[in-house]
Amino acid sequence: MADMILEIRHLSKSFGSHEVLRDIDFTVSKGDVTAIIGASGSGKSTLLRCINLLEIPTSGEILFHGKDVTGKGVNAPEYRSHVGMVFQSFNLFANMTVLENCVRGQVKVLKKSKAEAKDNALRHLQRVGMAPYINAKPRQLSGGQKQRVAIARALAMGPEVLLFDEPTSALDPEMVGEVLAVMQDLAAGGMTMLVVTHEMAFARDVSTQVVYMSEGVICEQGAPADVLEKPQMQQTKDFLARFRKG
Amino acid sequence: MNVFSKLIYDIGRLWGKYWGSYLNGVKNTLILAVVATAIGVVIGLVCGILNTIPCSKNDPLPKRVLLKVIRFIVRAYVEIFRGTPMVLQAVFIYYGLPYFSNNALRFSSVWAAAILVVSINTGAYMAESVRGGIISVDPGQTEGAMAIGMNHFQTMVNVILPQAFRNIIPQIGNNFIINIKDTSVMFIISFTEFFAFHQYITGVNNLYFPSAAIEMVGYLTMTLIASFLLRALEKRLDGSDNYELVSEDQLVMAAGTYNHPDRGTPFDERNPEYREKVRQELKYGRPKGDR
Repeated sequence: MADMILEIRHLSKSFGSHEVLRDIDFTVSKGDVTAIIGASGSGKSTLLRCINLLEIPTSGEILFHGKDVTGKGVNAPEYRSHVGMVFQSFNLFANMTVLENCVRGQVKVLKKSKAEAKDNALRHLQRVGMAPYINAKPRQLSGGQKQRVAIARALAMGPEVLLFDEPTSALDPEMVGEVLAVMQDLAAGGMTMLVVTHEMAFARDVSTQVVYMSEGVICEQGAPADVLEKPQMQQTKDFLARFRKG
Repeated sequence: MNVFSKLIYDIGRLWGKYWGSYLNGVKNTLILAVVATAIGVVIGLVCGILNTIPCSKNDPLPKRVLLKVIRFIVRAYVEIFRGTPMVLQAVFIYYGLPYFSNNALRFSSVWAAAILVVSINTGAYMAESVRGGIISVDPGQTEGAMAIGMNHFQTMVNVILPQAFRNIIPQIGNNFIINIKDTSVMFIISFTEFFAFHQYITGVNNLYFPSAAIEMVGYLTMTLIASFLLRALEKRLDGSDNYELVSEDQLVMAAGTYNHPDRGTPFDERNPEYREKVRQELKYGRPKGDR
């Protein structure tokens, strides 16, 4: 594993006495598309937020290129600029236009020139099909459009990994497709992605690795064909059966 | 009717003789209110940033202690200046400074003292308004900014405070209008604002009611104009309700290499130019020289 980007070791997270994550272990290599599936409340989103240090893990290590980022004295903002995140609720900056949303971070965090940042932002906005909307404010866009801008904003920072926290769960059904299409395009382009999702078709067709979580632990992980078609654990079977029915 | 004509006569007399003083008072009041409100808002924003610096268990001990001290100071400042009358604060600071420094330090001008007192008083109120404004911004905005690697200061300045500022403009307006009126207590340190001139003028001629009528109209005019301007500012900050679609390509690329879902390539039937060309061809036939 020469191109190991993220290595999660014995990660645990508690909110007070409530243990949300227990002893999570897995690795992400360059180009991996990891789908994290599981019932609501199984800790998937918390895991993703821990990886981005939006939540501070209670114990365990997160190694980014072999370096632990959970210890004291780590520059969290610097680390986060290498790890993009796309939220369920978009979290586009409401006070900026679409273009400014994608430019501001590059200028302030990466210290790029305005012209260079704009050029780069336009390239990514074009990739997600939002280039015509650069002058719009987030409140004027549909959910699917907002999420595509959010993806462009994350991409514009040039991240090594992109984390997706249920990117299609807040969308109307007819808008899910446009966002999934963009994600599929990214995966095809070799982007390393970690996707918390309820879209089983996406997990099956696009991901290279599937992680099934239940009650704060990883029950099963492996190639999508193995986990989704031939699950070994009873919980996984039950979960997938519910999905097929529903 | 006799009384009213007398009133109008008296007002006319007062205005005719003292209009320069009244206008000078209006000018001083407005300058003091505008400057002090602006400084107060800045103080409030700074307090807001200081109050919301995140503090986690992972931070080193000195940083945590420092943050505790900063929060305590901000809190004490807000409580003290919100909890005492401004007229007293003016006396306290204006006479307190020479008293404590054995007359070595004193305010060189009454302007400096008045601006200082009204600013820190406004700042104490604005600190709480800003705190409310920051709380009212969706926490997702902070997460979005943090997720692209912004630190606390960058997040505040670029994302949170502009939105909080928009939310607290009504509060700023409130404070501004209160300041226009309440700077009248600055006569206590002999600052010559609008109301101070009323006192001088009536001290000479005893025309209390006609002068008060002029003052009433003057203050109301100032506050009405102020609230009108603030509404206009609010509207401006909200921006346009519409936006323009950018139809031409921002990145100039060779024909056929761009691909947009709604637009297609130039050779695609989804492409509007291509469609138009075909329509023209069907209508008028293929133009000569184009094959």
